[in-house]
Amino acid sequence: MDILISGLLLGGTYALMAMGLNLQYGVARIMNLANGEMLVLGGLSAFWLFTASAVSPLLTAIIIAPLSFIGNWLIYRYLLLPLVRRSKNQGQLEVDSILATFGMSFALVGVMVSIHGEYFTYSYLADPLSVFGSTVALNRAVAFVAAVAIGGALYFWLNRTYAGTAVRAVSVSAEASGLVGINVDRISAFAFALGGAVTAIGGTLISTFITLDASIGVLFTMKALIIIIMGGVGDIRGAIIAALILGLVETAVATIVDPGLTLASAYVIFLAVLLFRPQGLFGRRTT
Amino acid sequence: MLNISDLTVSYGLHQALIGVSLNVSPGEIVVMLGANGAGKSTLLRAIAGICEGQVDGRVELGGKALLSRKSDEIVEAGIAFVPEGRGIFGDLTVWENLMLGAYSQRGRRAKEDNLKWVLELFPKLTERKNQIAHTMSGGEQQMVAIGRAMMANPEILMLDEPSLGLSPLLCTELFGNLSHIRETGTGVLLVEQNAKQSLAIADRGYLIENGSITGENAAQALLNDPAVQATYLGGAAVSQEH
Repeated sequence: MDILISGLLLGGTYALMAMGLNLQYGVARIMNLANGEMLVLGGLSAFWLFTASAVSPLLTAIIIAPLSFIGNWLIYRYLLLPLVRRSKNQGQLEVDSILATFGMSFALVGVMVSIHGEYFTYSYLADPLSVFGSTVALNRAVAFVAAVAIGGALYFWLNRTYAGTAVRAVSVSAEASGLVGINVDRISAFAFALGGAVTAIGGTLISTFITLDASIGVLFTMKALIIIIMGGVGDIRGAIIAALILGLVETAVATIVDPGLTLASAYVIFLAVLLFRPQGLFGRRTT
Repeated sequence: MLNISDLTVSYGLHQALIGVSLNVSPGEIVVMLGANGAGKSTLLRAIAGICEGQVDGRVELGGKALLSRKSDEIVEAGIAFVPEGRGIFGDLTVWENLMLGAYSQRGRRAKEDNLKWVLELFPKLTERKNQIAHTMSGGEQQMVAIGRAMMANPEILMLDEPSLGLSPLLCTELFGNLSHIRETGTGVLLVEQNAKQSLAIADRGYLIENGSITGENAAQALLNDPAVQATYLGGAAVSQEH
């Protein structure tokens, strides 16, 4: 029961982070390997504002949202859009964007190490909370609730509003989107920026219960990748289920077997998905 | 009026279109006949702004130059395009497809009227509005594609082989619907393999061969032209019917 609840709480936060990468990869078609660094930047901001001026990480999340949106928009506009324009096909764009964002991830790690080279250790709402008879840390529960609220709002926006429908249209087919009058470059830039903002918010939430450091981003990039590939690219429902599965398995392995094996367990799931269901859990057909 | 003059498209060294000139007036159906690889699709894709090759020449709609504009700007200017394979949003619902058709400013302005008109032309789309588009039959998907294009409130509608993969019955229905679209004053530029049925509803036709226009005439005259009959209408068998 403890494992189930802790696992679901962790999975909820993972889902938010994966939603960010899903917007960037599914809509803007950028496989962003610096996604984890964006998450750590969110965590670093929370740590920095909390230790310097006792700002609540929840407030930091609100502050960081517009800043990371603008930052990611600029990254798309000036670093990635030239690659999009130049590439003749999706394969070419994937190779180019992986190389460009991989390089960017090192640059961001360097910047963060120079700001704070040690662990981002701080304590926020580390009180016990009883949920259905088992005890969890309050900060995990708060992060989960915030992640569900933000993820739910995003899901509603994508599925129930006209602007959200246009974003989904671009993820289904960029060419057809242009033919109905959608400015694909503009929507892609918006989706990339929104994805970056969602990831950074995820980072501030995660930093309340996992101690981050400047170079841990790649771990989260990999987790987000595992979730997206397991859930199916562009499939938000699939990503949520996949995130919960990953959270549960990691928690179960850490509790029952050994905490050192959490990452290994994630890769085992990843391999299993790639071998047996490469199209994702719900088998969304490729377009 | 859509005016195209001296349009040339090349992919590297290969010239797909050489000096193509044609025009389409409002309320007119113009059909473009040609063999596979003659450059018909390239022509429509170049006009719609989704051609990857090097495009030169002049494309004008109502005197406004449109060459090399982005596809969303071309829709905004008044040209809607149903590409080969229909290009609908397969993972979205019928309703979402239709609504997205009116995404451009010009589409939004006339959304209510166009929606009413489209649903009158394709009553089936009303009952299927919550269905995911790719789960529909080919004929129904074609309705979604044409309905979505008409939601953009176009002056000119272009269709790339709309009858491909449809049964003879659905083909007849399709060409009937194109005649209805002409009645609204929209000009239709059609690329077709089905020469007989498309010429039957068209006003004029062009013949295209190896990237160049080789003939132009009234549709009726083309239907009766022995050379056209031999090439596109299966020769003697068809001429006997007429």
